[in-house]
Amino acid sequence: MTATAVPSQTSGGKRHVVVDPITRLEGHGKIDVFLDEKGNVERAYLQIPELRGFEVFVQGRPAEEMPQITSRICGVCPTAHHMAATKALDDLYRVEPTPTARNIRELVYNAFMLEDHALHVYVLGGPDFIVGPQAPKASRNIVGVLNTVGLEVGKQVIETRRKVREIISHLGGKVIHPVLGLPGGVSKGIAPEFLPVVKETAQQGLDFARFTLQVFKDIVLKNDDYVKLITSDDYTHRTYYLGLVDDANRVNFYDGQMRVVTPDGEELEKFPVQAYASHIAEHVEPWSYIKFCYLKNVGWKGFEDGPDSGVYAVAPLARLNASAGMATEEAQAAYEEMYATLGGKPVHHTLANHWARVIEMLQAAETIVGLANDPVTAGNDLRNIPTTTPSVGYGVVEAPRGTLIHHYETDEVGLVREANLIVATQNNAARIAMSVDKAARGLIHDGVVNDGLLNMVEMAFRAYDPCHGCATHSLPGQMPLVARVYGADGTVVHEIKE
Amino acid sequence: MTSRRPTLVLALGNDVAGDDAVGLAAARHLRRAAPPAVDIEETGEAGLALLDWMTGYRHVLILDAVITPDLPVGSVLTYRQDDLRPIEHPSPHYAGLPDVARLARLHNVPYPDDVVAVCMAVRRPERLHEGLSPEAEAALPDLVAAARTVLQDWAGSEPE
Repeated sequence: MTATAVPSQTSGGKRHVVVDPITRLEGHGKIDVFLDEKGNVERAYLQIPELRGFEVFVQGRPAEEMPQITSRICGVCPTAHHMAATKALDDLYRVEPTPTARNIRELVYNAFMLEDHALHVYVLGGPDFIVGPQAPKASRNIVGVLNTVGLEVGKQVIETRRKVREIISHLGGKVIHPVLGLPGGVSKGIAPEFLPVVKETAQQGLDFARFTLQVFKDIVLKNDDYVKLITSDDYTHRTYYLGLVDDANRVNFYDGQMRVVTPDGEELEKFPVQAYASHIAEHVEPWSYIKFCYLKNVGWKGFEDGPDSGVYAVAPLARLNASAGMATEEAQAAYEEMYATLGGKPVHHTLANHWARVIEMLQAAETIVGLANDPVTAGNDLRNIPTTTPSVGYGVVEAPRGTLIHHYETDEVGLVREANLIVATQNNAARIAMSVDKAARGLIHDGVVNDGLLNMVEMAFRAYDPCHGCATHSLPGQMPLVARVYGADGTVVHEIKE
Repeated sequence: MTSRRPTLVLALGNDVAGDDAVGLAAARHLRRAAPPAVDIEETGEAGLALLDWMTGYRHVLILDAVITPDLPVGSVLTYRQDDLRPIEHPSPHYAGLPDVARLARLHNVPYPDDVVAVCMAVRRPERLHEGLSPEAEAALPDLVAAARTVLQDWAGSEPE
């Protein structure tokens, strides 16, 4: 499928712009932009269709199947779903993984984070910053990125990604359908002959993450226009932030408590995933299939910024804002540099997600090196066998796109009665909707609409690395979205679609 | 240069999303009588991940479901490399085959000499469920037959 721009006629009055499919966004949906008589934006909406039936589909199935089933609902984040489901099974059967099993899970999970973030940096978000937001459409892609940073980098992206995926495959089988996690452990340890490969790949991944941080500094931060764009009001919202943290409130992708900070950066609340329903609620809008999460204890006040509105964000920048620091040395130094450069914590600029993502690559890579060289990781004690009767279980991880929650309730033999998932993009949905609306209002004026401006509207949500595939329980590999601008008379005046 | 395997059948789809699994179903039929030189794999991945699967083969046959508003469910379509256009805004998770080929050639990754996609037209799945629709089930033999035709052509072109 190919995105094509289709300018349309208008007879004056109000106009409406749609972006559908949203390019380089996983899942399926459209952006509708409504213009008033003067050609300024009255309101912009992001809409997502839904693949229904997840809750019904899993009813009556053995809970042990959930890591395999849930990894099938999204072809983009299978490892995140697999791990959240595995942790929910631990909780369901009240069993802790062995130290070796935990290390192996964390090794695989950090490898997944590194690989996924690298793809975003170079392929999904890269065209916006490395090539340029207003660059010709034909060059805003991976080839354009490689023409800017050099072909050698492309080789490194492909090669590093392949090797990291080999670690995941060695331990979990197919990357797309991992079979690693079991309640209380993992199905497979590291073969002694594979350990040197893991160590070598870990070091290569760390070198690549360091290199990527340097690329970001050289190409993005040394460009005043890009820095102005990152910090511009069009891409800024003062909201709450949520992320998993460890005992010292440092960023943790695999485990920890859910910590929320206010728009001023103060801790509002911290809770285990088992208490999520007491802290997170969902709001429904008639124009969207997606449910908009908000903080229950603050309340839904509409799509509004500020401390009185329960809208919050997840994903890389939110994780850093919600934490007291990074868990590894080099990532911590990069974290401090980002906040020093952008004026302290929290940072409210949506596009700073790209910087935060590179810092997280560094933490993932350093963590992999640490785990690869920890003798516990190479152990043989892979599983604690569950002995309790199941009833309810919760699991949480930080997916690349943000906090992912799995919640299952079963009968006494472990057959699922009810299941609920809150996925990253659902957590972010309200803020993404606000970002699209604000960017459209800030960028489209006097009826002037073109592909470059619409791309800059898309940048507002692309920074979140949204994946509406599972936010709406949709399919893997589907792209799509359409962007349409409607005039005041309801006619389509500009369209980009697949 | 390392030697390449002759042929990969790569089935794409999601087996809990109804007719989206039609390529996987066809692959399972083919596997029952596959020649030894043909590897058959299934995945739910897309985009750049396809490069990992395809690297090192001379021929790749992709089996998939497609949504085409103009054709009835069960219509079988064969796309050759020249039939596919590049995506102007590729995603790492959703790059088209021309984009994957372009990347591979840029980096001297051994990309197949020939890639053919044999697909069945389906309706957009709206609900998670297992099993094909009656229309897709009825047309499955046509999809398998079209795939076999491509494989036979390639087998005929292989050096003795």
